[in-house]
Amino acid sequence: MKLIMEVVPQLPTSYAQQALSGSATILAAAREELDRAAGRRIEENRALRRLFAEAKGVVTDSDLAARLAEAAASEEGSLLISELDRSNQQLRALLIRLHEHVEGLKGDAARRVEAAIWAELRASTERRRSMLGNF
Amino acid sequence: MELVDRLQAYVATRLPRALDVAVANLERIFGGGSRETYRFTVSYREAGRDVSRRLILRRDPPASLIETERRVEFAAYRAFFGTRVPVPEPLWLEEDPRHLDHPFFIMEEITGCEATPFRLMAPPYDAHLKEIGRQKWTILGEIAKADPQALGLIGVMASVAPDEAWRRELSLWLRDLDADEIEPQPITRAAIRWLRANPPPPAQRISVVHADYRTGNFLVDETGRIRGILDWELAHLGDPLEDLAWGINRVWCWNRDDRAGGLLPKDEAIRLWEASSGLRADRAALHWWEMFSCVKGQAIWLSAAREYHDGRNQDPIMALAAWMQCNSQDRTMLELMGHLP
Repeated sequence: MKLIMEVVPQLPTSYAQQALSGSATILAAAREELDRAAGRRIEENRALRRLFAEAKGVVTDSDLAARLAEAAASEEGSLLISELDRSNQQLRALLIRLHEHVEGLKGDAARRVEAAIWAELRASTERRRSMLGNF
Repeated sequence: MELVDRLQAYVATRLPRALDVAVANLERIFGGGSRETYRFTVSYREAGRDVSRRLILRRDPPASLIETERRVEFAAYRAFFGTRVPVPEPLWLEEDPRHLDHPFFIMEEITGCEATPFRLMAPPYDAHLKEIGRQKWTILGEIAKADPQALGLIGVMASVAPDEAWRRELSLWLRDLDADEIEPQPITRAAIRWLRANPPPPAQRISVVHADYRTGNFLVDETGRIRGILDWELAHLGDPLEDLAWGINRVWCWNRDDRAGGLLPKDEAIRLWEASSGLRADRAALHWWEMFSCVKGQAIWLSAAREYHDGRNQDPIMALAAWMQCNSQDRTMLELMGHLP
């Protein structure tokens, strides 16, 4: 806020003022993200592993079932954000494959997995919710 | 040579009867991820008179939020200038990079106006939000009903059959999404599967589609009058519902409530558009285009993130756009798919 309230008005051009205001806004958002960065990744990776453990008995593709079982049993090797991100990206890529697969399956078990996926996707947007968004 | 000097030299070549051509007050305008935009003043003597004009320079940057065709953008301004769709007068298109390093075009500046959404939501403009909304969707209806042939845009913009418009646009944005996403996007991928499984009916007509028609891309004066529709860089021929859907996307709800574009309730916006265009916004078809607009939006935000992440364009607008919009876009898709309480 100090940047926006005190420094921005002293800049000579509208472009410089707005560029610095934009950068200050990014800093504020980064502060929000920094606090939750590790927490939300750990929480999400756990949630995805739980979901995969439940889904592996429902899928009809043996290769996918094996990948789900392997992912469900995996653990974080490090708490560095970059490492947590790597795990998260692998898990979310697998989630896409699982989602597509269960959409094509019939039966209550598949619908339960699908509902669990949507619940997790809803939760994932809450974990990532930004102070900057309009919605 | 400084940009101002090179610009002055160029403008002088475009004004062969003018004497003492001078460019001054060159100032960059913040925002706009696809072009560098500057305002400047040009003064000269012509036929014994002193002339001073305020102009806008739109120059291609080294890397942009959206890769676009400036020839099409220029043609759109030229086509609509002087019609019921207010636009600034386009002057010169220059594609030879020797003048200013990158292609560019120059147009007249519409002065005394504001476009920035945050400012439009505040005094003195906020007293006119309903009226701005009424004009916004009425003008969009005018764009939808305009005849591309009569506007001279056939051939400039690629033609498309009514039953192919959705497929072409979806393919276009998926290409960007696939190339630029930094991490997997499960909500967007689910939306794409839905779009492919539930194609919309053929377009009721092929119209000019502005393709970035939103609050922030038009100029408003202090009385609440829309004076110019800007940023035609994505304009193309297609289904007019594409524009309506983009304009009512949740990410543009600048007042953080249900008012589309921060201006009017969504149903009222649709009604105004229907009345102005003479077209019907079939709700199922519009729903498809709304979902599409989310996928397109996500492609744009993720491309911006990629450009910034890779260091190809470190304008803060690139990071800000991605940070601001990605999550809202995901939430909008969840809502449209019925998965948000």
